[in-house]
Amino acid sequence: MSKGSELVITGISRSFGAVRALDQFSLTITPGELVCLLGPSGCGKTTALRIVAGLEKADSGSVFLDGEDLLAKDAAQRDIGMVFQSYSLFPNMTVAENISYGLKVRKNSKQKISQRVDEMLELVSLQSKINNFPHQLSGGQQQRVALARALAIEPRVLLLDEPLSALDAQVRTQIRDEIRRIQLESGTTTLFVTHDQEEAMAISDRVGVMQHGRLEQIDSPNTLYNKPATTFVAGFVGITNYIPSVVESKGEVQVLGQLLDISEHSQAVKKGEEVRAMVRPESIQIEKASHGPTVITKSFLGPMTRIGIDAGLKDLIYAELSSKDAKKFEMGDHVTVTIKTDSVMVSHA
Amino acid sequence: MKINLTKYSLVGIATLLALIIFVVPYSASIEYSLRGDFGKGHNLTNYYWFIHQDGFLSHLSLSLELGLLAGILNLLLMVPTATMLHLSLQRYKPIVDFICILPLMIPVVSLAVGAEYSMPSFIQNSQFELVFFFVILALPFTFRVLDSALSAVPLKTLVEASRSLGASWPSTIIRVVLPAARGGISSAFFLSFALGIGEYTMTSLLHWETFTTWTVVISQQNLLGSIALSTFSFLFAVALLVVIAIATSRRKIRKNSEIQLVEETV
Amino acid sequence: MNQRTVVPGSEKVRELGISGRKFSIPLPLLPFFIFVGYFLAWPITKVFIASLKSNDNKWTLSNYGPLLHGVYLHSFIVSIKIGLITALLGSIFGGLFAFVIDSYAGPRLTSVLDSISAVFANSGGVPLAFTFLASFGANAGLIKLLKRWGWDLYAEGFSIFSFTGICLVYIFFQAPLMVLVFKPALKGLRKEWREASTSLGGSNAMYLRKIAIPILFPSFVGSFLLLFAGGFSAFATASALTVGNVPLIPLVIGNLINGNVISNKTHLGASLAIGAIVIAFFAMSGYVWAQRKSTQWRK
Repeated sequence: MSKGSELVITGISRSFGAVRALDQFSLTITPGELVCLLGPSGCGKTTALRIVAGLEKADSGSVFLDGEDLLAKDAAQRDIGMVFQSYSLFPNMTVAENISYGLKVRKNSKQKISQRVDEMLELVSLQSKINNFPHQLSGGQQQRVALARALAIEPRVLLLDEPLSALDAQVRTQIRDEIRRIQLESGTTTLFVTHDQEEAMAISDRVGVMQHGRLEQIDSPNTLYNKPATTFVAGFVGITNYIPSVVESKGEVQVLGQLLDISEHSQAVKKGEEVRAMVRPESIQIEKASHGPTVITKSFLGPMTRIGIDAGLKDLIYAELSSKDAKKFEMGDHVTVTIKTDSVMVSHA
Repeated sequence: MKINLTKYSLVGIATLLALIIFVVPYSASIEYSLRGDFGKGHNLTNYYWFIHQDGFLSHLSLSLELGLLAGILNLLLMVPTATMLHLSLQRYKPIVDFICILPLMIPVVSLAVGAEYSMPSFIQNSQFELVFFFVILALPFTFRVLDSALSAVPLKTLVEASRSLGASWPSTIIRVVLPAARGGISSAFFLSFALGIGEYTMTSLLHWETFTTWTVVISQQNLLGSIALSTFSFLFAVALLVVIAIATSRRKIRKNSEIQLVEETV
Repeated sequence: MNQRTVVPGSEKVRELGISGRKFSIPLPLLPFFIFVGYFLAWPITKVFIASLKSNDNKWTLSNYGPLLHGVYLHSFIVSIKIGLITALLGSIFGGLFAFVIDSYAGPRLTSVLDSISAVFANSGGVPLAFTFLASFGANAGLIKLLKRWGWDLYAEGFSIFSFTGICLVYIFFQAPLMVLVFKPALKGLRKEWREASTSLGGSNAMYLRKIAIPILFPSFVGSFLLLFAGGFSAFATASALTVGNVPLIPLVIGNLINGNVISNKTHLGASLAIGAIVIAFFAMSGYVWAQRKSTQWRK
């Protein structure tokens, strides 16, 4: 279908009054790549997306699509496809009319339009709904039509603004996989915005974690998870235990009786300072013991089980093991808690 | 930058135009009302004349009384009805909705004719018959206002929670329902009150003399004086509605900021 | 639990009340239905019956005859004309103003203008008439001012006591009423639709033509009909402004039941009243239909 385009965003800044929504935001998306912007509300991800779309103005910086200056163009001239969070289908038009809207703008022939509509409906598997109105469709179906409508015009960039946030949990998983499949099939360069880290990690080539208008780290999901560059990223992506610890010396911290190295991306700390060590649940190892920390909760998550342990700290420590291994442990059992990694990230308490 | 200019200027021009168009007649009437005897100079003689007319106070108090009664009767009738509709009798809502639109559909003149034909003499001989019809005339507005106030809160949940904690029905109504619908109740009261004191059609066709009809009679004698009066009553109505508007919007703003607070913590 | 009261959602509700064959009214709603029945349904029914009776109390349709020609038909036509003209002008001006404000004004300005519209929309009646007498009557400051500038309106035949004068006055509350009634429909236009249209390459004109106007149309028509019904039925303002020279149905009816004319015309008053109800009823049914149509695309 469409050859992938390269999107180069450089130094975009945008303020709303006193609030700095974006601060020197830069990002390059390679052709055919799906990049996700992930972050909490107000981090600037939506603003960045809307600036690329042309729905918002940038105070400074540039956006180039295949070498063309995008910011110099009107929103309607940018050749982008956009999917919104909800309610974006035109309610007075059928599915077919919605999908053909962009094509009518481009003055395609009736025959070509009809053919393209059929293609798109096949792509999103909604052929039977061709003459229905949006209010007759479920939320998931509406979003699929919205996707079809955006892709019908063969856009050079596909922009998605939290498209799954308004959907039910189960539908969400289905649709997000659909989106990824369709994106790979069409090879369209895509920018996806969400606050749901599981979603971002599941379908993206790269994920950019944002906070306070700045890009904290952009990497593959794997790298982001295993090598977080800042404590914010470490805490935002995946589940983390924050274990109260004491800094032993420069570069070492005492956690639950173990002496571990402080990883280099941690916040700067002083000797003797009380800090929090960030440990992933899968790095926690537990063995049965006669006394000591107690198993308080067991949450069955399917292939894995999360066990909550009371080690005399303010919060429970969570360990994640395969459900098979977890069978050994019952509520009330005493266990020893060991951290399996050599180094941990620390942050101020 | 260019776009911003056109945006603001469009709004500015439209608002300015509208304001001019609407303010001119009212300022003209204020000026008119301040004219002195024989059109010379400007002073408050018309207002004085007006207030000192025989019957000013009696008619004013009559209208206030009727308005007050209309407001109270309206609340007594509609608050329980609207509450019940929301709590357990939702399926009757479309019917009640339709009935409450009827007073808008039926010209007041025709209703007045109907009143002449149908009300028994003991009602027709009392000026309080007006109160009943004021309530009818206010129905579309009061019901809508009460309805949206009750819809704005999860009423059923609140009542069920209250009942499950052991509160009796009267207690629940007083401590849960009424406070929740506070905004709607006060708006409904003021709307019927305002309608009552300003109503002319029904009153004149049923041959009663309230403040409104009396002023028309007086106007035969002294046009300037009546203009003074109508300016006065208009400004009064403005003040009333502005008060309602401020009261309801402040509540809305507070509610919005509460919602925002909740959203931020989530 | 108190047996007299209603248990939410239970069958007890229906037992405690009046039951007809297919229709039952639960006890708590009885006061409402009785009140409305006696003070609304009953008077209208009585008028209807009276319109079908002649002076010697026999059933007849003769009271409806005069409605179809002559003076009374003319009055109906004039009233309808006033309703249509003021509704049209009011809905156009009010609609445009509402559109501009909704699209471009900030929230504070919007709420101020909303309150002001509410005030002006309800400012009909006698005070409004007097206000216009003060501003456009023969002795009004404005008229005198225009005269000084060389434009003698009254010499050219203008008078506040005329058809044109009434239209002018009516628009004063019709336009703000339009703003009030049409605003919610404008708010229903989601900004996502506009943004989606833009992202797909659509121009402003295309958005208006294909999306905004089709969606707004039912509400616009409904609001227009609401304004028409109001303009048609208005009594107070008209009675204060005319001296019998503009034949409006509400005034005619008023005269008939005031006994200003010979008493054998009172049944005629009833039939005129029913005629007025029919017209206003059609308009308002159109309004209700339009309201429903405007939300048909919402789930």
